[in-house]
Amino acid sequence: MRRKFETIANVATPLAFVSLLLVLWEYLIRIKAIEEWLLPGPLRILETLMVNLPLLLKHARSTLLECLAGFALAVLFAFVISFFMEELPLLKRAVYPLLVASQTIPIISVAPLFVIWFGYGMLPKIIVVVLVCFFPIALSLLGGLAAVDREYLELFRSMKASRLAAFRLVKLPLALPSFFSGLKISATYSVMGAVIGEWLGAREGLGTYMTIAQRSFQVDRVFAAILVVTFCSAALFALVSLLERLIIPWNQKN
Amino acid sequence: MKKKVLACVVLFSLPLLLASLLAGCDGTQKEPGSKELKKVTVILDWTPNTNHTGVYAAQKLGYYQEQGLAVEILQPGEGGATQLIAAGQGDFGFSYQEEITIARTKGIPVKALAAVIQHNTSGFASPAEKNIKNPRDFEGKKYGGWGSPAEEAMLKALMKQEQADFGKVEMINIGAADYFTSVRRDVDFAWIFMGWTGIEAELKGLPINFVFLKDYHDALNFYTPVLIANEETISGNPQLVQSFMRATVKGYRYCIENPRAAGEILLESVPELNRDLVLESQEYLAREYQSDAPVWGEMSEIRWKKYAEWMYDQGLIDQPLEPGKAFTNEFLTGV
Repeated sequence: MRRKFETIANVATPLAFVSLLLVLWEYLIRIKAIEEWLLPGPLRILETLMVNLPLLLKHARSTLLECLAGFALAVLFAFVISFFMEELPLLKRAVYPLLVASQTIPIISVAPLFVIWFGYGMLPKIIVVVLVCFFPIALSLLGGLAAVDREYLELFRSMKASRLAAFRLVKLPLALPSFFSGLKISATYSVMGAVIGEWLGAREGLGTYMTIAQRSFQVDRVFAAILVVTFCSAALFALVSLLERLIIPWNQKN
Repeated sequence: MKKKVLACVVLFSLPLLLASLLAGCDGTQKEPGSKELKKVTVILDWTPNTNHTGVYAAQKLGYYQEQGLAVEILQPGEGGATQLIAAGQGDFGFSYQEEITIARTKGIPVKALAAVIQHNTSGFASPAEKNIKNPRDFEGKKYGGWGSPAEEAMLKALMKQEQADFGKVEMINIGAADYFTSVRRDVDFAWIFMGWTGIEAELKGLPINFVFLKDYHDALNFYTPVLIANEETISGNPQLVQSFMRATVKGYRYCIENPRAAGEILLESVPELNRDLVLESQEYLAREYQSDAPVWGEMSEIRWKKYAEWMYDQGLIDQPLEPGKAFTNEFLTGV
């Protein structure tokens, strides 16, 4: 009984708080404390979202496409790199600074160059997504691999297991929880990465939609697009969480 | 453990699978009979707007097709089109006289083919209640710009002409923020295009004062925007340029004669745009595209020369420009 009450409270409290904020926001717009063209009210944004939904979905499709492709590539690269870095300590020492450096590149300044180098297709956006997503995944996987208890490995070695077997049977499963926390961070970043890529030159996509809306002074449409971006990011996050539950059920607390 | 490996495989392939599914339901279908058309790309200078309507009209009304061209219109990133055209990433593009002048003096091989709007419709705008009616009133005010050296030179020149002191203007970088949001808070005046932001101010019912650059300084009646191409395209494939320009000229004529219908065409091609703004802007530009020129798009050597000299005097370019290399009118006639 008490537990049930707690769950309800856990859901109801943030819901009530958000509703209160939304009502306050709408009220401020209604009494004209803020002009609508500076910040549209939530009802107006919702209406715009509904009216423009087909158009927004068309743009969301290419954004999602870029972000999923980039995300998958980032996971793949992260896995390959982490495997070799874990197994060859010299490589790890050599490459690690480069990994960190890759994360310090200001995406905003290189993305327009990607368009010049790779043209207008999806490739430059996918590269941006890979750049954004790769680091958190690789870092968390490497961290997970490094944290594996050495005694397990010694046990394996004493049983004459191959290095590959040790990696597959001990290191990887034990590193997965850490890997998934990196994966979740990347999943939420990936949509944003794609949007930034499109912002800096594209045929279609939510980033393109936002620039056109903003530059023809339609703030409500910008917010409608933000809602779609948020929804996509949340959906990807939920998907990764679901996979986590399926792949490493032993890691679920409660 | 086998199961785990399997699960990991699923983890990798799932996003790829989703991506390919999304790609599979691609809405673009091949246009029938387009196999003989030559593919041509046009890169805009900004997000699509009413400066570009002539190209959209020529595309929608089949003028390009008549010339054997299949035109694709692309939106640039922050860097604009000039670099992309120079790098051969597109065939034609939109740029500005200023950018072409700088590009030419740096040896970048791009050339202007037509002035989209005959006179410079840009200028310094401010909310009417701030009472900024001419460059002398800039003194003691805050200017919101994007931090380019040309802006400072422009303000200096205008104010010098009117014996005002540029040192009394406070320069603020507003980045990508628009005129309306910035003049609400920290800024008194900004540089805008009459045919877009100026029209939007009217529609919003926010009266503005507008200082047209061309009214204060002879050299500042520069062409903005202009249609451009790579010099290699112009000398290597004049036939293509001729066909493209023939259809484009027709497109802009259509805009001049049918502003309302032209606006509808732009909105149909770019439904993301603001409808009221497009239709109103189209009415304004119908008068401005050609204005007093004998044909749409024509440019004069004197105006190219004067502006280049002005830029040289301001130190915005480090060597004088040969105007003949920066523009050509040869593709405007012969329609």
